[in-house]
Amino acid sequence: MNPRLRPVGLIARREFASRVRGRAFVFGTLAVLVLLGAYAAVLATITAGDDTARVGVTGPAVALAGPLQRAAPTEGVTLTVIPQPDVAAGEAAVRAGDLDALVGGEPARPRVFVESEPPADLERVLDDATTVVVRDAFLTGRGVDPGALDAALAESGPVIVAAEPPDPQAGPRLGLGLAGAFLLFFSIQSYGAMVAQGVVEEKASRVVEIVLSSVRPWQLLLGKVLGLGAVGLLQLVILGGAGLAVAGAAGVLVVGPGLVTTLVSVVVWYLLGFALYATVFAAAGSLVSRQEDTQSVLSPVTITVLLGFVVGFNLLTSDPRGAGITVLSLLPPFSPLFMPARMALGVAPAGQVVLAFALTIAFTAVVLALGGRIYANSVLRTGARVSLREALGRART
Amino acid sequence: MLEIDGISKRFGSTVALDGMTFTVRPGELYGFVGANGAGKTTTMRIALGVLAADGGEVRLDGRPLDAGSRRRIGYMPEERGLYPRMAVGTQLRYLAELRGRSAAEARAAADRWTARLGIAERRAEDVQRLSLGNQQRVQLAAALVADPDVLVLDEPFSGLDPMAVDVMSEVLRERRDAGAPVVFSSHQLELVERLCDRVGIVRAGRLVAEGTVAELRAASATELVVDAPQAATGWADVLPGVAAVRVTDEGTVLTLADASDTTLGTVLDAARRTGPVHEFRRRRPTLAEIYRDAVADHVPDLRRRPGAAA
Repeated sequence: MNPRLRPVGLIARREFASRVRGRAFVFGTLAVLVLLGAYAAVLATITAGDDTARVGVTGPAVALAGPLQRAAPTEGVTLTVIPQPDVAAGEAAVRAGDLDALVGGEPARPRVFVESEPPADLERVLDDATTVVVRDAFLTGRGVDPGALDAALAESGPVIVAAEPPDPQAGPRLGLGLAGAFLLFFSIQSYGAMVAQGVVEEKASRVVEIVLSSVRPWQLLLGKVLGLGAVGLLQLVILGGAGLAVAGAAGVLVVGPGLVTTLVSVVVWYLLGFALYATVFAAAGSLVSRQEDTQSVLSPVTITVLLGFVVGFNLLTSDPRGAGITVLSLLPPFSPLFMPARMALGVAPAGQVVLAFALTIAFTAVVLALGGRIYANSVLRTGARVSLREALGRART
Repeated sequence: MLEIDGISKRFGSTVALDGMTFTVRPGELYGFVGANGAGKTTTMRIALGVLAADGGEVRLDGRPLDAGSRRRIGYMPEERGLYPRMAVGTQLRYLAELRGRSAAEARAAADRWTARLGIAERRAEDVQRLSLGNQQRVQLAAALVADPDVLVLDEPFSGLDPMAVDVMSEVLRERRDAGAPVVFSSHQLELVERLCDRVGIVRAGRLVAEGTVAELRAASATELVVDAPQAATGWADVLPGVAAVRVTDEGTVLTLADASDTTLGTVLDAARRTGPVHEFRRRRPTLAEIYRDAVADHVPDLRRRPGAAA
């Protein structure tokens, strides 16, 4: 291996090993996995819940059984009609929770007995059924065959021609985009903060002096960013993989070329975003000498990212094609968070993706140069917080 | 051979080093002494490339130090530092590998030095769980584990118990005998006097005296101890060739401006005139006294108080 890169590899390996074996990583990942599992379980119970409506009919209303059965599918309701011997028995069944409603009396104006109030969709089914009964009676009285009318009506209706037909996968795509944006935000924030903590820990424990008598500051910084970036990527893959598995199992997500593209773009943008933010975090961390002071130098960065994330997340859910999110996803510090989401939604023109990518790479290069300089200038200065002006001064050779 | 050649460094308006120059030869144990803030740590940090000098050069075997040759130096910084949450063995192997050793060499060296320094059974423990004394031993192991050709140790004896001081002294002598240039700073001057082949005394960023302890002694003013119990105070005050007189438990101590036989004769005669003379001898100044003289040179009225340790 290149002798200049061997220390970088050693440093990256140490960072990776010490974090992956660390309690924070193992328990943090497990906790998120458990939460994800619990969420999936709750979702599964809700969707798998018994959504068949049970309706009892009695007396003359038995005539409604047929119209009810026919009306139910048009309202998206699964309906079971159970004839009841009399009103008293039917009402008792409603009270016992065996029936959702008891329909009695005249078919045109039936009396519907429910526990508290009828579900909205069931009410529409009842409405439809009574209308049909009255209409059919009316038509038959005037010598018209209701069946012929129905057949004629079935042929009517507009033919919709859309310029841009809605994507049947729009829901899952939005979900995927938002989940990607959230995971990127989460990884960048938590692992970026870890880079800063690691830098401060080395300063606080003074071990940095021994390390820097063996390697150059850029080697230490690069090794640290690579090692922690790999840990973050590992967690991203574990969590993202688990999330996809859950979504796949729940039938929300269909595996297709769109999915693969999204995954690849999330990983690529993660790498770019991590390089950008980790350098900023490392430079910020190198300004202080004690863990207690870390927060004060990190908050300007974390608050900026958080604000951008909240604003972007809202824009993305409310108006994914709007100007706001388009601009935000083109601004380098936020591109890594939102460009993959817009790509997943299929609302990012190729030109914008290329532009955002180029801008982010340029921005990252500037950040690397400045951040590396701040780091090299500050990492050996202990005691008081190093001012940015001092840190940006002449780099040591 | 480690050459520190005309190093200067300022921090803002403070001059930390002002043409610091000295050489540590192969197989030589060099003691670097001076007050706090005299520039010892800054010199060492510059030698290790941790700080950049404003001027001057540090050479190893005639070539200016670079990142590669710096890895041949074993370094113990003044501010002790290790990764607190890393096991002793893993940490030593890591530091050895960072200095260019192979994984196998690093493992062997880490095992060897932990055994040698009596911390073999602590290898699997995190550094932060160790006692301070044991952390110091790990720190020394960290300086030695890459099998360095040169040792630069900043205050290696501070905070060590007597046993550890013995182990440390033994290790330093051993490295010296193996032909390595070894330089260390210390405030424990008796230790420096006992261990070091040569001593450099630094004041205000410059070397003000340098040599073997014997050379330094020869260069310093001769002192006589005279025990004449019946002598009146001030008996020696006006003798020719005597620069200073003070009274101690041992008797009267005279600092001679001129150590010629004439002066010695004059003093002896004057002493005998006061009555019986129980003791009349040349006094060998300790390194601590030589040091105090060297450092006090710029404040002439500062009286010497023997016995007080630095």
